[in-house]
Amino acid sequence: MTIFKTFLKVLNKCKAPIIIYTVFLIFFGGFNIKTSDNSMSFVADKPDILIVNEDKDNKITNNLINYIEKNSNKIEIEDNEEARNDALFYRDVNYIIYIPANYGEDFLKGVNPEIKIKSTGDYQASLAEMMLERYIKVANIYNDTYSLEDDIIEKVNDTLSKETNIEITSKLDTAKLDKASFYYNFTNYCILAGCIYVICLILSSFKNENISKRTIVSSINYKEYNMKLLISNTLFSIILWMFYVLLSFVLVGDIMFTAHGVIYIINSFIFTLCAVTIAFLIGNLMRNKDAINGIVNVIALGSSFLCGAFVPADILPDSVLKIAHILPSYWYIKTNEMVKTLEEFNFETLKPIVINMGVIVLFSILFITITNIVSSKKRKKN
Amino acid sequence: MFIHNLKYSFKTLLKNKMLIFWTFAFPIILGTFFKMAFSNIENSEKLDIIDIAIVENDEFKNNEIFKETFKELSDDNNEEKLFDIQYVNEEEAKELLNNDEITGYLIIKDEPNIVVNTSGINETILKYVTEEITQTQSMIENVAQNKVEEKVKDIVAGKIQFTSYEEIYKQIYDEIVDMLDKNNANISNISSSNLSYTMIEFYTLIAMACLYGGILGLVAINQNLPNMSNNGKRVAMSPTPKYKVILSSVLASYIIQLIGIALLFIYTIFALKVDYGTNLPLIVLLACAGCLAGLSMGVAIASVFKTNDNLKTGIVISFTMFGCFLSGMMGITMKYIVDKNLPLVNKLNPASMITDGFYSLYYYDTLDRFYFNLISLLAFASLMIVISILSLRRQKYDNI
Repeated sequence: MTIFKTFLKVLNKCKAPIIIYTVFLIFFGGFNIKTSDNSMSFVADKPDILIVNEDKDNKITNNLINYIEKNSNKIEIEDNEEARNDALFYRDVNYIIYIPANYGEDFLKGVNPEIKIKSTGDYQASLAEMMLERYIKVANIYNDTYSLEDDIIEKVNDTLSKETNIEITSKLDTAKLDKASFYYNFTNYCILAGCIYVICLILSSFKNENISKRTIVSSINYKEYNMKLLISNTLFSIILWMFYVLLSFVLVGDIMFTAHGVIYIINSFIFTLCAVTIAFLIGNLMRNKDAINGIVNVIALGSSFLCGAFVPADILPDSVLKIAHILPSYWYIKTNEMVKTLEEFNFETLKPIVINMGVIVLFSILFITITNIVSSKKRKKN
Repeated sequence: MFIHNLKYSFKTLLKNKMLIFWTFAFPIILGTFFKMAFSNIENSEKLDIIDIAIVENDEFKNNEIFKETFKELSDDNNEEKLFDIQYVNEEEAKELLNNDEITGYLIIKDEPNIVVNTSGINETILKYVTEEITQTQSMIENVAQNKVEEKVKDIVAGKIQFTSYEEIYKQIYDEIVDMLDKNNANISNISSSNLSYTMIEFYTLIAMACLYGGILGLVAINQNLPNMSNNGKRVAMSPTPKYKVILSSVLASYIIQLIGIALLFIYTIFALKVDYGTNLPLIVLLACAGCLAGLSMGVAIASVFKTNDNLKTGIVISFTMFGCFLSGMMGITMKYIVDKNLPLVNKLNPASMITDGFYSLYYYDTLDRFYFNLISLLAFASLMIVISILSLRRQKYDNI
């Protein structure tokens, strides 16, 4: 009990970082994801387009504006060029269209007036450009063919209203699964940072020269002492894991009650145990208490950035992902990403997931072995 | 005495390993992580070639306009190549879609149909292109009908001579092809070429390094405060004027901080290829002002708060990290959201002044915004210096 009490005392000292990691998790894992309700039917992507109209009230111009607004998200930006430039840089809008003065009249004269645009150059902007080009081309051709303004507008609208049927095959609720995966990917950072920080701090407090000397001369059996230390650390990690799992039920919602949710939970449990072994290894290698903060940041942030916990793995450069193979986080996040697209549960589909989990277990065994070698060498030295 | 204390402050600060880790090494390590994680984001947002399949049934084979358009859009020599197409039967198409090897497939029954797995940008583009073909088809029908009517009118009125049906069809066909070719949209792109928003991450990194420099100032002041260290007690007893001691210690921290920032700049420019714009003197000026702001903040915190060393460091770190958070370090949109909705917050936030200063040098052609940020930083630094002077002067202890 003495050991456990001391453990709790030290734990109480390091609650601040744990709270900070959790706040990050809630902020990024819970609120940062856009949710869409009707993911079961096809929803066309709409680019964010801003139209700056310098023309006066004119039927032709208004029709162009209507068409663009119908197929894009309308964004409210302050009416000055600096605000627009900022919005473009931070991707609040993908595409800005400047309709010049007298556009409508010039168009009817057959001038094909120049339209200035600003574009972020990403795929949304490409879509916006396709939309604008298509409209103008159709309008130009009808302008060549018909003479009356109303005829042109009617024909343009009639042609552009023709849509293609689109069928969607997947029955998965991808938006919710995306959210769950993102949440569990983010826990990679919280679990790693939390376990390493706490366990290293506790081990180094117990290893303080005076304290360890006192423990050695006391009547307590060193095996029992080690065992209790190990149990209390593991217990802490499991409580931390349970807390994050409970939090996921609140933040992610009902998808956690499905078979997909069970895999996320099992996967994170195995990873937590692996994080404990990493923390033990570092705690044994490290001598300086002040260095803990640095080590936690480098290891937890490093493996989170490299393995795709913050930035999705499929947009990381290939070279980075190759390096990431040597980190357990990579396999943990890979499983989360696989669960996202899992439609059927059978031996074939679950096999790669089990293999990933196996790799994490192997990593844990490796870390335990290294820890044993290191600590036995240290003991001999003493 | 000034030089003597400068020299020894310099030495003691450099020998403090944790201090050097946080101010020199940590920003470099974090920058490396940023580079690894973010270098591909913007490329992945560009339109890529989309893998699709087309069910090659009789309806498709007989539909010239679909066949030709998709052939052209998947041609390797076409600069605007959009698709990689596999021509398969319906079963194979379903299999390909099931294995996620294609975005979707097109099947023409009575009308063109598209089958996809989920909603998304590639799926939307496939839908758009298919729609565009249908719409062009309908447009050509309208125009052709109109042309035929015109020709008939002209022939009846005797304006043109009737030769043969083939001849007239040929004329109409040529006119329509000509129309399709020449009526392209007249669009000109006037956006700045410096649109890489991930640069903001690296600017916040510089901001973080500048403000972390406050810890250097803090340690340097603590060494001279009698209530903080034994060294401080001895300094207080010595007959040297206090301003000399304080100034020389602060100067030593500033020099170390500048060395750290210079190393960070060299690393980010040459190894990480960060683009700070082209105006080197102003970049250096902003970095020096940023360091001064960080340093004076550390000095002010050290002199105002009468508490232990760890807590003071904690205050500097939390202030810095919160400032960096607001200026976009943990998510670039955060800076925009704050700038747009609570502009005053980021006008008072030194991390944001530094970030926004680099941003305006990189993105804007005019310098108004840059100078506003620079002057704000200097004002912040002066305020901090005044606070420090007020709380440091005439300190006396009867006992301690």
